[in-house]
Amino acid sequence: MSTFAALADAARDARRAWRLRASLGAVGFAVAAFAPLVFGDSRLADFAGGLYLAVAATGLAFAVGVGGLPSLAQGAFVAAGAVVSARLLQVGAPTIVAAPLGAATGAASAALVAVLFVRLPRAGLAAATWIVAWLVATALESLSWFFGGTEGLVVTAGPSPAGHYELALALTALAGLGFAALARSSLGLGLAAARDREAAATGFGIPVQRLRVTAFAVSGAAAGLAGALGVELAGIGDPSQYGPYLSFKLFVVVLVGGAIAPLGATAGVIVLGVLSVAAEAIGSIENVAHARSHALLAAIMLLGVVSLGWDGIVRPARRRYPSGSARADTTVRHSLTARDLTKSYGAVKAADGVSLTLEPGTVTALVGPNGSGKTTVLRLLAGAVPPDSGTIDHGGVARTLQATGVFPTLTALEHLLATPRRRHGGVMRSLLATPKARAEEAGLAVTARELLERVGIAPDVPASELPAGEQRLLMVLAAAASGAPTLLVDEPSAGASVADAGRISDLLAELRSRGRAILVVEHNPVVVERVADRVVALDGGRIVETS
Amino acid sequence: MALALQILASGFAAGAVYGLVGVGHSVVFRLTGVVHFAFGELIALGVFTTLLVAAGSGPVSQTSVGGGRFLVALAIGLVVSAAAGAGSYFLAIEPYRARSSTIGWVAASLAVAFAVRTLLVVFFDRPAYVFPDPLPFGVWRIGGVTIQQRSLFVAGAALVLAAGGGWLLTRTRFGRALEAIAQDFDAALVVGLPVKLLVGVAFALAGVWAGLAAILAAPSAAFDVDAAARYGLYGLLAAVVVWFEPRRALVVGVAIGLVQATVTSAHVGSAELGPSYRDVIPFVLGLALLALRARRPAEAVE
Repeated sequence: MSTFAALADAARDARRAWRLRASLGAVGFAVAAFAPLVFGDSRLADFAGGLYLAVAATGLAFAVGVGGLPSLAQGAFVAAGAVVSARLLQVGAPTIVAAPLGAATGAASAALVAVLFVRLPRAGLAAATWIVAWLVATALESLSWFFGGTEGLVVTAGPSPAGHYELALALTALAGLGFAALARSSLGLGLAAARDREAAATGFGIPVQRLRVTAFAVSGAAAGLAGALGVELAGIGDPSQYGPYLSFKLFVVVLVGGAIAPLGATAGVIVLGVLSVAAEAIGSIENVAHARSHALLAAIMLLGVVSLGWDGIVRPARRRYPSGSARADTTVRHSLTARDLTKSYGAVKAADGVSLTLEPGTVTALVGPNGSGKTTVLRLLAGAVPPDSGTIDHGGVARTLQATGVFPTLTALEHLLATPRRRHGGVMRSLLATPKARAEEAGLAVTARELLERVGIAPDVPASELPAGEQRLLMVLAAAASGAPTLLVDEPSAGASVADAGRISDLLAELRSRGRAILVVEHNPVVVERVADRVVALDGGRIVETS
Repeated sequence: MALALQILASGFAAGAVYGLVGVGHSVVFRLTGVVHFAFGELIALGVFTTLLVAAGSGPVSQTSVGGGRFLVALAIGLVVSAAAGAGSYFLAIEPYRARSSTIGWVAASLAVAFAVRTLLVVFFDRPAYVFPDPLPFGVWRIGGVTIQQRSLFVAGAALVLAAGGGWLLTRTRFGRALEAIAQDFDAALVVGLPVKLLVGVAFALAGVWAGLAAILAAPSAAFDVDAAARYGLYGLLAAVVVWFEPRRALVVGVAIGLVQATVTSAHVGSAELGPSYRDVIPFVLGLALLALRARRPAEAVE
C-alpha cells in the first residue's frame, strides 16, 4: 500500500469514527490553546500542573476503568518519573531526553509492581499498591541521597510556563486519544473481559495476567511522563508532593471524572480545580489552610460520587469498529492428543488414565453421570489444572465454562474481538494505528460481524441484553473466535429450550465444518445425537465406553 | 546484650500494637472481604478524642492530667472509636461489598481515611503532640542503654488484649456467629443471623481494641496523625502478608516492631542503617513476602 493510500485510508477511518462528542472535545482543546493570550504566567503554570495531573490520571483511568485494577500507587510512579527526570536535568540533559526517560521509568516501575502483585486478589492488589505508595513517599522523605531529602532537588528552568501549558494541553489530548485507541484494541477488550469474568476470559485463552501487567505499564508511563515534566515546571522536586495523598487524589479524579471514558480523568481534574478555587475562598473566610480544606473536599466529593453509585461525569460513547473486507479463516487445523491423564483430589481419582484424541473437523461428546470427572478432564485438557501424570499435545485450546454468563459490559461484537490473538496488535501499533494493525482489526471486525449475523445475534447491543439462548451461542462463538484449533465446550445446552439446543447443535456443526476439533460435555441427547461423531463415556474418572 | 534487651523491649511494644491492628484488619477482611484503609485514621480519631477530653487541644505536658479525668477521656475516646468503626462499615463499606464493587469500597474507605485525617489536622494543627501519661513509668539504665518500663507495660497490655480478643472470637456465641459469617456471608444471612449488626459490632470492637492499644502506647513518643496512619499501615502489612489470618498477623506485627527497633538501633561496628530506614526496611521486607505469596499458584475459582 502506498503512503498516500494508507493516509487516505486512515482519514476515512477517522471520519467514520468521528462524532459530536469528538467535535466538542476538539473545540474545547482548540479554545484552551489560546489561554496564554488571557492568563499570566503564574495561572498558566497552575493550569499546566493540572494538565500534567490529567495525563497521569488518564493513565490511571485505563488501569482502573478498563482493567478494573485498584491501583493506589500511581503517585509513586509519578514520583519515579520525577526523580529520574530531575537527576537528568541536573546534569544538563534537555527536556526531550529527560521526559521520555521519566516516562520509561514510570512504565518500568509500574510493570515491576504489577509483575510482583497482579496475581493477588483485587483486595490484595489494592493493599500492596497502597503500601508501595507509602514506601516510595517514605523513601523520598527519609533517604536524602535518593531525592535530596526535605530540601528536594532543585532543577534548572526549562520551557516557559506558556510553553509547558501548551505541551501539557497537547499531551492531555494525546493521552485521551491513546486511551480511546487502547480501550478498543485487543488489550482493552481483553482487559474488560477479564474485569467482567476472569475465569471465562482465561478459558478463552486471553493472557489475563500479561494484559494486566501491560495495563500497569501503560498507566505508569503516563504517570512517569507527568512526573518528569511536572518537576521541570515546578523547578523543584519536593518530596512532600509525592505522598500517598497524590495517589489518592489521582484515584478521586478518575472516579469523579469517569474511569471508562477517554476524557473522564481530564474532566475530573477540571472539577477538582474548580473546587480547589472554591476551597481557597472558603478557607480564606474560615482561616483554614487551603491545602487541608482541599483534601477534605476531595474526600467528601469521592464519598458522594461512590455512594450515589455514579459512573463519573463523562460516560463513554459506544465504540465503533471498522468495516472492510473479510479476512479468510486462517485457523490452523491441529489435533489434540492426551495420553494417560491422571488427577487426584485427595482420595478421589477425578481422572484415571484418560487417553483421547480429538481430530480436526470432528465433534466428540463427553458424557457420564455427575461427578464422573467430565469437568476435570476438560480442565486438564485446557491446562487450567496440571495433571498428576500424563501428557497433552495440542496447538491451542479455548474452553467455555459451565453455566457462565457473558461479559456484561461488552457488546456481542466485542466478545468476538476480545479473544483473537493479533499479529500486529501490540500496544505501540494500536496507539499509532499503523496500516497493518488497522487492516487486521478491520478484517477481524468484518469476519466477526458476518458470523454474528449468520447466527442471528445483533452485533452492537450489550451482550447482557441478549436472550439467554443467544448468550450461550455467543460464548461458544467467542471461544471459536480465539482461533484455537481445539474447542472445549462445557454443557452449552444445560437448561436450554429445545429450539436453543438446536441452534447450538447447528453452530457446533458449522465450527466442525471449519476444521475445529471439538469436545463437548453434554447431557442433552438432542445435541449429542445431532452433532456428535463420537461419544466417550466417563465413569469414576475412567473412560468406560467409546462409540 | 543490653542493646539487644533495649531492641527487644521497644520493638515488642511497638510491634504488639501493629499486631493488634493487624488482627483488626484480619477480622474485618475475613468478615467482609474488604481492606479497611481508614483503620489507622480511625485509631487516630480515638487517640485524639481522648487527648481532647483529657487536656484540650493546647500544649500538654506529660503529667498535667489527673487519673479520673483521664479515665473519662479514655472512655469517650473508645466510644468514638467504636462509633467510627461501625459507622465506616455501614456508610462506606457495606453498600459496595453488597454490590461486590472492589473499586467502590477501596474508594470509600480511602475517602473516609482522608476526611478523618483532614479534620484531625484542622483541629490539632501542631506538628506533634505529647500525650498525657496517667501512669508515669521510669526507665532502666543498663550498660549505657535505656529501656522504657512503659514498653513492657504496653507489650503486656497488648498481649492481654490479644488474648481477650482470641477468647471473644473462639469461645463465645458472638465469635462463632462471626466465624459463620466469615465462612459464608450469604448463608449466614439465610439462617437468620443478624449479619449486618454483628459485622457492625465487629468493626466497632476492632476499632476499640486497636484504639486502646494505641492510646496505651501513645505517651511513649510524640504522636500525630501520621503516626496513627502508620499503625494502620503496619497492621495492614502484618495482616496481608499472612493473608488475614489473625494469629499470624499478631506474630508478624511483633516481628515488624522488632525489625524496626533493630534497624533504628543496631549497628555492626560502625556500620548502621539508622532511623531513616526504620519505615523503609519493614515495607520492603513485607512487600517481598507478599510478592512471594502472589507467586503461589492459586486454584482457579470458577
